[in-house]
Amino acid sequence: MIIVLKSGVGDAEIDDVCRRVSEMGYAPHIIRGEFKTIVAAVGEERGRPDLRLLEAVETVESVMPVQQPFKLASREVRDEPSEVLVNGVAIGGKAVVVMAGPCSVESESQVLEVADAVKAAGARILRGGAYKPRTSPYAFQGLKEQGLKYLAEARKRTGLPVVTEVLETESVEQVAEYADILQIGARNIQNFTLLRRVGEMGKPVLLKRGMATSIQEFLLSAEYILAAGNPSVILCERGIRTFETSTRFTLDLNAVPVLKKLSHLPVVVDPSHGTGHWDLVAPMAKGAVACGADGLIIEVHPRPEEALSDGPQSLKPARFAQLMKELRPVAEAVGRTL
Amino acid sequence: MIIVLKPGWTEADIEDISRRVRELGFKTHLSRGEVRTIIGVVGDDRAKEQLLALQSLDCVESVVRILQPFKLASREAHPHDTQFKVGGASIGGKPLVVMAGPCSVESRPQLMEIAKSVKQGGAQILRGGAFKPRTSPYAFQGLEEEGLRLLKDASKATGLPVVTEVMEPDKVDVVAEHADILQIGARNVQNFSLLKRVAECGKPVLLKRGMSTSIQEWLLSAEYVLAGGNPNVILCERGIRTFETSTRYTLDLNAIPVVKKLSHLPVIVDPSHGTGLWEYVGAMAKAGLAAGADGLIIEVHNNPAEALSDGPQSLKPDKFAKLMSELRPLAEVLGRSL
Repeated sequence: MIIVLKSGVGDAEIDDVCRRVSEMGYAPHIIRGEFKTIVAAVGEERGRPDLRLLEAVETVESVMPVQQPFKLASREVRDEPSEVLVNGVAIGGKAVVVMAGPCSVESESQVLEVADAVKAAGARILRGGAYKPRTSPYAFQGLKEQGLKYLAEARKRTGLPVVTEVLETESVEQVAEYADILQIGARNIQNFTLLRRVGEMGKPVLLKRGMATSIQEFLLSAEYILAAGNPSVILCERGIRTFETSTRFTLDLNAVPVLKKLSHLPVVVDPSHGTGHWDLVAPMAKGAVACGADGLIIEVHPRPEEALSDGPQSLKPARFAQLMKELRPVAEAVGRTL
Repeated sequence: MIIVLKPGWTEADIEDISRRVRELGFKTHLSRGEVRTIIGVVGDDRAKEQLLALQSLDCVESVVRILQPFKLASREAHPHDTQFKVGGASIGGKPLVVMAGPCSVESRPQLMEIAKSVKQGGAQILRGGAFKPRTSPYAFQGLEEEGLRLLKDASKATGLPVVTEVMEPDKVDVVAEHADILQIGARNVQNFSLLKRVAECGKPVLLKRGMSTSIQEWLLSAEYVLAGGNPNVILCERGIRTFETSTRYTLDLNAIPVVKKLSHLPVIVDPSHGTGLWEYVGAMAKAGLAAGADGLIIEVHNNPAEALSDGPQSLKPDKFAKLMSELRPLAEVLGRSL
């Protein structure tokens, strides 16, 4: 950390700050400038007292971090990319992995129909929501455990591993019984007890970025899971809130190369939520693969106009199959497979 | 437009609103609902902002726009993609266009060296700023008219057409004398007198999206140029302001398919400003093309560490050439040529 002192502080005040820095376990280095004096605090910050506390000292103008606050998620700890293995499917390797399925599990026949279709088109993982975090309390809240059973049925039939969302700590065990990947939704990105609980669980976790979560906060949420002993975290960019309203969210594809630079964890992109409109899903799916995403998660519904949730952003199976066909050469052009 | 009445409306209110709507030259269509009553305004209301003023009546809850407010920029008015030529470069259509060069023109040797290297790398248009809108008044403001002369010389030496920014109506003529495309920068996207002035000059216009301009506002700015009689407008997405600070801006690639759907105008992407860091330029250039952009504008500098502006986001000539070689196979699988 860099501690910037206010203009005009005297030697006694500088010594006082240095003493505090030493007491916190860091080595202070004084740099005297023409206008300002700064104290560099040298030493591993993680696990030591937070130097930003010094902003409370009257002679201190600001405290600026120079190190990222996450460790296990960072490239410093692990330089080569991590692969998360899910029943034989590797996420984070050369192959781009596509997860697809309905937003909500609505019935046994619906989920089986979609599962067959997305498998035939080349999806490697089945998505489907059983517990649904809906903005309105009057909207369909999901089939809950019954939905999990249908998902397990679809896995048995197609062999596709299942990713589904878990909303609360109490249902983590139940969801983990049926699912292969536990999804933490955008709204739970800073539900820290839930993050710790899925960290202890050990099953792979798909962690969605919150709609107002910075990349640093996102990686700190991943750090919660890693620090609880679970190395299998997949990051998912799904759009952030901006002033633009012609799309549901603004898909932040900059986040893909930024996350890849800062972290070894695999990154997938959700162009369905990231746009909110089915006709924007294909170009943004291609854009995501082109900028280095390790996978995609795409909503597919046999009859979007009758869907109980997210119909406007769901692809029909035929359109999904067409998109998969178009994605393969894009993946190859950037040195990946699909 | 749709006029929604508050509960408790009276027949006299409906009479009054209908009369006002008819006076503005539209027909009305009344629809009495159980809870709400709405009046549909029938007719081309794209240019009729007065209807929005009816929102100020006591009995009106809201006035909702149905048609997009721009006309000449819309696909309805012009179903086919706009295509035109600037020198030997095609804008719009199957061939992709890459514009490259320094952020600022700094000196004759600097510009000549970069112009030759971007031409060799495969750029079809040379970019370079002579008039620079810098956030700080103490920062380098550009070589101004001397810079324009250098650009013209570089254009002669390489055969590349030139795009450069014009910041004020008084300078439009002199910039148009030296440049092949006039750039309206992000900060001037709603400088309406400048937009009207570049419309009159007849040269193609590169219109950058403002950092907090919605897509609708952006297309209305394009409409100013089109309505002024200049059909050759190129739109450029260059990143919007969001809460995320790990990149300089958030490149809104959703805007590419959205604009393509709403408008016939060519759209290019600026991954240099959109990320602010050279390391991310390649990934986002690829994503821009994959999402359907018609081209790219990329900052290249022979010595980024000593650049007078935007050094951190500038590519060195060899990195630019390498990126171009990676973009070609991608363009091909997308059905484009480069």
